[in-house]
Amino acid sequence: MYRVFALLMLFAMTSFAADPTPKAFPYEYDQHDFDNGLRLITVPTSYPNLVSLYIVVQAGSRNEVEPGRSGFAHLFEHMMFRGTKRFPPEKWEATMQKIGADTNAYTTDDHTAYHATFSAEDLETVLDLEADRFQNLEYQESVFRTEALAVLGEYNKNSAAPTSKLFEVLRNTAFDRHTYKHTTMGFLEDIKNMPNLYDYSLQFFDRYYRPEYTTIIVAGDVQPPQVRELVGKYWAGWKRGNYRAEIPAESAPASPRDGKVPWATPTLPWVVVSYRGPAYSDAEKDYAAMDVIAYLGFAESSDLYQKLVIQEQRVDTLYGMNAARIDPYLVVAGSRVKNAADIAYIREAVLNTFSQFKDQLVPATRLEAVKSHLRYDFALRMDNSEAIAASLARAVALRRTPETINRLYEVYGAVTPADVRDVARKYFTEGGRTIVTLQTEQAQ
Amino acid sequence: MKGTLVVTALMITSALDGAPRLVPLPDKSPLVTMRVVLLTGAAQEPAGQEGVAALCAAMLAQGGTRTLSYKQIVDAMFPMATSVDYQVDKEMVTFSGVTHVDNLEKYYALFRAMLLEPGWRQDDFDRLRDDAVNFLRVTLRGNNDEELSKEVLYNALYQGHPYGYHSIGVISSIQNLTLDNLRDFYKSQFTQANLILGVAGGYPKSFPERLKKDFAALPQGTKSERRLPDPKPLSGNRLVIVEKDTRSVAYSFGFPIEVTRGHPDYVALLVAQSYLGQHRSSAGRLYERMRQQRGLNYGDYAYIEYFPRGMFRMMPDPNLARPQQIFQVWIRPVEPDTAHFGLRLAMYELNKFVAQGMSQEDFERIRSFLSKYVNLLIKTKDAELGYAIDSLYYGIPEYNGFIKKGLSQLTLEKVNRAIRKHLRAERIQFVAVARNAQELRGKILSNQPSPMKYNSEKPGDLLAEDAVIQELKLDFKPENVVVVPVDRIFEARE
Repeated sequence: MYRVFALLMLFAMTSFAADPTPKAFPYEYDQHDFDNGLRLITVPTSYPNLVSLYIVVQAGSRNEVEPGRSGFAHLFEHMMFRGTKRFPPEKWEATMQKIGADTNAYTTDDHTAYHATFSAEDLETVLDLEADRFQNLEYQESVFRTEALAVLGEYNKNSAAPTSKLFEVLRNTAFDRHTYKHTTMGFLEDIKNMPNLYDYSLQFFDRYYRPEYTTIIVAGDVQPPQVRELVGKYWAGWKRGNYRAEIPAESAPASPRDGKVPWATPTLPWVVVSYRGPAYSDAEKDYAAMDVIAYLGFAESSDLYQKLVIQEQRVDTLYGMNAARIDPYLVVAGSRVKNAADIAYIREAVLNTFSQFKDQLVPATRLEAVKSHLRYDFALRMDNSEAIAASLARAVALRRTPETINRLYEVYGAVTPADVRDVARKYFTEGGRTIVTLQTEQAQ
Repeated sequence: MKGTLVVTALMITSALDGAPRLVPLPDKSPLVTMRVVLLTGAAQEPAGQEGVAALCAAMLAQGGTRTLSYKQIVDAMFPMATSVDYQVDKEMVTFSGVTHVDNLEKYYALFRAMLLEPGWRQDDFDRLRDDAVNFLRVTLRGNNDEELSKEVLYNALYQGHPYGYHSIGVISSIQNLTLDNLRDFYKSQFTQANLILGVAGGYPKSFPERLKKDFAALPQGTKSERRLPDPKPLSGNRLVIVEKDTRSVAYSFGFPIEVTRGHPDYVALLVAQSYLGQHRSSAGRLYERMRQQRGLNYGDYAYIEYFPRGMFRMMPDPNLARPQQIFQVWIRPVEPDTAHFGLRLAMYELNKFVAQGMSQEDFERIRSFLSKYVNLLIKTKDAELGYAIDSLYYGIPEYNGFIKKGLSQLTLEKVNRAIRKHLRAERIQFVAVARNAQELRGKILSNQPSPMKYNSEKPGDLLAEDAVIQELKLDFKPENVVVVPVDRIFEARE
């Protein structure tokens, strides 16, 4: 079985090499669904000795639907390190440490990921440990209450950066109903109340830590048959759940909004202009075209960057961002302004840049440069097994298959100047706009 | 892979004596990584020109060339998704970049021109000088309490020493720098004598020769002088409280050590540091006692080498090599109510660690961890290249093999002896970033009890330990606990 697969791989690689339009995700992979709904994606890479494991749970702060529960998916990520009967936290840590694994986890709006990178020979040990905590997590209320304080500590360490608060206010201002209204970290008052929500934490685990929400990614010095067998051994007995969260749909954009963030200590002002944008899609053009706009409008090579950062030197940071989210989110242009007197000028310049996309067709050469940038940017990130697994985790969180990467890059390839204009007209409306400024209190 | 590294080591040795040193790490990847390291940095800056090294490097990496404006460079780089990155420390200035092999010719033409034919334009200079000042004033001082406390720790420990200010510079000096200062620094320091070239990935066979030939355009020069004074010894504990209107209290503390990568106790101290507080790992002792058991903060770690940007990076950046290092503990922000207790707890743990050392079981576990973890440090070609260059600097063999060999020859006794010899729980420089600095100063000087209140039941042994910790005497003389307003930091050389 192993040998047959190896031959197939060789064949696949050869034909891939002869393909004149190579796929954006350049690796062959094995995708397998277990009966309980768990999905496994195995990617043999050319990097020797190491393996990277990403376990992606399709639940993030988007799933925090009840009031007062913001930040809970992230708290739960912390709780996953609090052990089981078989592997109490000290034993889990000691085992991972002995094998030299680099372990961590993160939570975003749409998903939570647990990851470890380690030597190929330790794959079974890690799969066993991880399967155990995903199925048999158990912690006392006292431990839960202590861990909630570590989350407050995380909020505290983030709070020195104005951009954390800026995004908290932006989202709270731009959304009314959808859970994207709060950041993954959550509102401070909810974080302070977390220690009192032990029972809810058990319910959260019961709802979302289920095979149908979970995808396991194994990338590195591995062969798919061996990985399938090991994952089956430790994870196939995991029981499927039946919970589906009702994520409240956001109401249609109705009126422009403004937010202000007073900052207590000296800092440079920030101006963030955003519009309600499209959801991620690997089939429709809206998301891909909006991504193109974020680059054309605000990347280092954009006219606005050249004007504000390089020539006039009124801004020291300018970026555009069209984050990939399951539901419609925000397209954002952020700028850090050197002199508070220029805030209004910068705001207008950014608004004009958005607006121009509605009136003028972008030159084809510029569009091609962005497409080239997107492809090479992705290729340059694939420089080790961990990076490959990490990129896949973000894709898998959205569409549960690596194929979504290839489809997205095909859509990028098909975006025309007219598509860019049409997307701008559809989304850059007064009603969908939110602008937030941050500046030091005494300067306001 | 191992074969490649052995060959590399031989090639490096034979390439010494005048010709630029070159580290080639070929493989079949579609990516090509370049690293150009100059063995110079902030430690070589003339008095009054603190920041010239960093601004000079910024002008190369983010400014125009003789024939291309910065805009033209950005436009050319954009479709390739490439850039030239730079890093400046006390002893090394590093330029690096990675390109897809499809674009190697185009990218290298830019990379080469940027490093060898800088444009020295006034508008680039104005922009980058602003960036340097805003980095220190806003990004570091205003927006990142943790990195601020770490950098103030270095400034305090190295007062009157070339390491006594941030490698980006000192604000008053940066504001007085001229383009001529930059040109002079470039001419005297960016020389073949200071140069190490590195290339990795799927480059054509002839590429390393070309790199060498092109960079032979730099003046021959002489190796930069590296006679550093010893940092002033600490006669007792000292504390700088940076006063700032902020939610919580960030701590860093430490003292100089004589151990660097070439030192016989390096691997032993690496084990000790990993046990006490492996960076961003939940398995370290400090993390376990402070965060896991007591929920005091987000994490607590220990270091024996300079490790900037630790809040953003899971692994250290290479090419920050220094002949003098410090031992450092990083306590992530604690709530003001528990700030006094938190400091006592960290000191209680350090005391215990220095007095008792590690157990055989802990030693075996950490040794096993490090012998595999070193593989992860070089998981990218770029990192492998960076580590190879650092090894050349420290005069040690290839890092991975060096650590594994050192670990295999290590015993618990050697580790505990190294802990006793190099680490201590006295004569420490502390830094806190806090609001109500005078109140914190008063509490710490008075040694008043700092009882902990928990939001849940705690085991009896932990409470018994707390009863001792809340009374722990922190030995500070009033004149050694100073409050500094945050707006004074980085402005002038102390």
